[in-house]
Amino acid sequence: MSALDLLAEREDMISPGISACVGCNVELTLRTVMKVLGPNSILAIPPGCMGGVGVVGWNKQSGAKVPVFFPLLDNTASMLAGIRLALDAKGRDAHVVAFAGDGATVDAGFQALSGVAERGDRIIYICYDNEGYMNTGYQRSSSTSKGSWTSTTPVSKEGQGGKRQHGKDFPMIMAMHDVPYVATASPAYIPDLVRKVEEAMKVKEGLAYIHVYNPCLTGWGIRAEESISVARLAVKTRFFPLYEARNRKFKITVPVPNPLPLEDYTSRIKKFSHLGPERIAELKDLAEERYRFLEAVSAGGGGRA
Amino acid sequence: MSTVAVMNGNYAAATAARLARPEVIAAYPITPQTPVVEYLTLFAAEGSLSSRMTEVESEHSAMSILSGASLAGARCYTATSSQGLALMYEPYFRASTLRLPIVMNIVNREMISPQSVWGGPQDSLTLRDAGWIQIYVEDNQEILDQTIQAFRIAEDPRVLLPINVCYDGFYLSHMTERVEVPEQAEIDAFLPPYEAKHQILDPRKPMAIDPLTSGYLVMEYRKKHMDSMAAALGVVEETDKAYAALTGRSWGGALDLYRMEDAEYAVVTLGSVTGACREMVDEKRAAGVRIGLVKVRCLRPFPKAAVAAALARVKGFGVIDRNVSFGWNTGIVYQEVRSALYESGRTLPSVPFVGGLGGEDITLGLVSKAFDEIVAAVDAGRTPQSAVWLWAPRKGVKA
Amino acid sequence: MSTLEKDYVCPVGEGIYAANTGDWRTQRPEIDQEKCSRCGTCLLYCPTNSVRRVEGRFVIDLGYCKGCAVCAAECPKQCIAMIREGRK
Repeated sequence: MSALDLLAEREDMISPGISACVGCNVELTLRTVMKVLGPNSILAIPPGCMGGVGVVGWNKQSGAKVPVFFPLLDNTASMLAGIRLALDAKGRDAHVVAFAGDGATVDAGFQALSGVAERGDRIIYICYDNEGYMNTGYQRSSSTSKGSWTSTTPVSKEGQGGKRQHGKDFPMIMAMHDVPYVATASPAYIPDLVRKVEEAMKVKEGLAYIHVYNPCLTGWGIRAEESISVARLAVKTRFFPLYEARNRKFKITVPVPNPLPLEDYTSRIKKFSHLGPERIAELKDLAEERYRFLEAVSAGGGGRA
Repeated sequence: MSTVAVMNGNYAAATAARLARPEVIAAYPITPQTPVVEYLTLFAAEGSLSSRMTEVESEHSAMSILSGASLAGARCYTATSSQGLALMYEPYFRASTLRLPIVMNIVNREMISPQSVWGGPQDSLTLRDAGWIQIYVEDNQEILDQTIQAFRIAEDPRVLLPINVCYDGFYLSHMTERVEVPEQAEIDAFLPPYEAKHQILDPRKPMAIDPLTSGYLVMEYRKKHMDSMAAALGVVEETDKAYAALTGRSWGGALDLYRMEDAEYAVVTLGSVTGACREMVDEKRAAGVRIGLVKVRCLRPFPKAAVAAALARVKGFGVIDRNVSFGWNTGIVYQEVRSALYESGRTLPSVPFVGGLGGEDITLGLVSKAFDEIVAAVDAGRTPQSAVWLWAPRKGVKA
Repeated sequence: MSTLEKDYVCPVGEGIYAANTGDWRTQRPEIDQEKCSRCGTCLLYCPTNSVRRVEGRFVIDLGYCKGCAVCAAECPKQCIAMIREGRK
């Protein structure tokens, strides 16, 4: 079934009215992912944008048509591992799924996620990475790109400041746990995302991890209608490459042989507007280095899946 | 028919957990609880335990895994001590406010600093207001019996709260005693399978767990939680009676009284120091002092009416705390008992003892001195304004 | 009985809460069905799932549409116009 047929025909598992910002590509990602996963799912939404906009519901009503709950910021993976154990004990099966921001994943939730990866608990973990704590007004996270303005890495009138460190290469860190499935994805490549969720659903032992890169309109300073086109530029400039890895066997799913200049991407984003050519070059160097590394690990050792 | 075995406290706890047939167990080793985890994994390897078990990377994840499993309807068990409990605090508080009937043994260990691995209930007592039921026991038989009962109390529809059965590290966890172990069939009849009706994560019945909740509803849920705490007192008593009918052993429910019928003085205890105090009651009675003992078993919910009734006819009392309440400069149980008496309108002379911290021994000699101090203070109508410290004189240490 | 009157032991929710996000809209998309190539890009990328496929044609259900204009920006045929709301 094509991605279009699937998405046209499947029921939306999320409340039709959630209070995500106008044009939010995380809302798109969540609705897409849950259409693919379907009703036999249990969904964890830790504190973050999707919790804040009402996906877990309000007072005595729900925000989703599947069982949904708030884990703590730092225990999403562990709580899902417990749900899996309970289902196993009762002889039942369901997709046990996290939809968590980068704060709940790469920062506070990392220990629990790493534990799940090492133990091989069978869960599907989807991280929507918008490079920071957006739901509380954009404080920096360890995923935030170097140079970014955030509310905790401010920029002076002279253009000095911004985050001083590069963000973690988190999907690569997860791939190095030797788990059955790790993928990166983008809301600008929906058919690719749909296929990767379907791959994650096939995993019968261990963790399936998908890291989605979601440029944040409100926090980063992007026009609503450019929600998808900016996400696409992140891929086309090699800033966020799309790949998958099965037990350390890598494959680039959207090769970028001729990358666009990184400025095509950064110039559309207000949080980078204070960065001069030298600081943009620093971002570009890292992106190129990461892409070369990815090409190297994808080339040999069964990389061509 | 039960069998009789000699076992340490940790083995008694693990045996109770096995008999209760939890569906999911997640635990992280920490001194002095570690053998509980080892025994359970051994039971599983031998095939006598069918629970789904997982070796977690921290206590935070242990409680988180059980929270998820309980939300999916599973009976759950774990155990921990001191720093592990502290690390667990975030999902610990939430397990009670989500009304998850998880059973957890706490093998009481002093909180650091100073660096210490030895006994003392500071760990669990500090968390007394986190919404869990907390029951403290005195010997290994009581560990086994109360841990089994804990599942029935926690899962009772009138309660639906998580529960700690707390026992002293090393004094109980690592000391062996004679323990009667009930038959599996007896416990199966005593503990029917858990069925989560108040909440469930199940695709066949989609619901949201813990939506964003406005203040008036937070108050509604808090009130229900407190009402269930109150109801739990009765359920603890009922369960003790039902268990006594099965095994012949009653532990007294929320309080256990010893020679209080005609007592003029009372000593109030919690945990394993009770044994030495009971012995000393007999000794002092033989010497003509009419003293009795009140053992607090249930610390949460606190049996305030029963405490007031137990102390209704004494002239005064003392409390032996192996913990401190910073700021009050007494032990914690002392403050609880005094609050319970305030409601009864009686003001009695009382002595707040603090001793046995970090596993320090409370010897019979120290207990004897404490009893003498109770009698002297009560006869003089005197209540010390801060703790009377129970410690043996040592060379180079200022007593 | 409204869900708010339901008596739960602990914080759970049943039934769907939906914010009226259609009210946020300041502009609405209109598809020029003559120019439309039926590629479905608008359906794939609509954040609020407001695009339906009806007998091969793509139509917009404005109920919860926030008027973000992603569909108009992504349409390869540029056949979706954004019309200001309030000028009927």
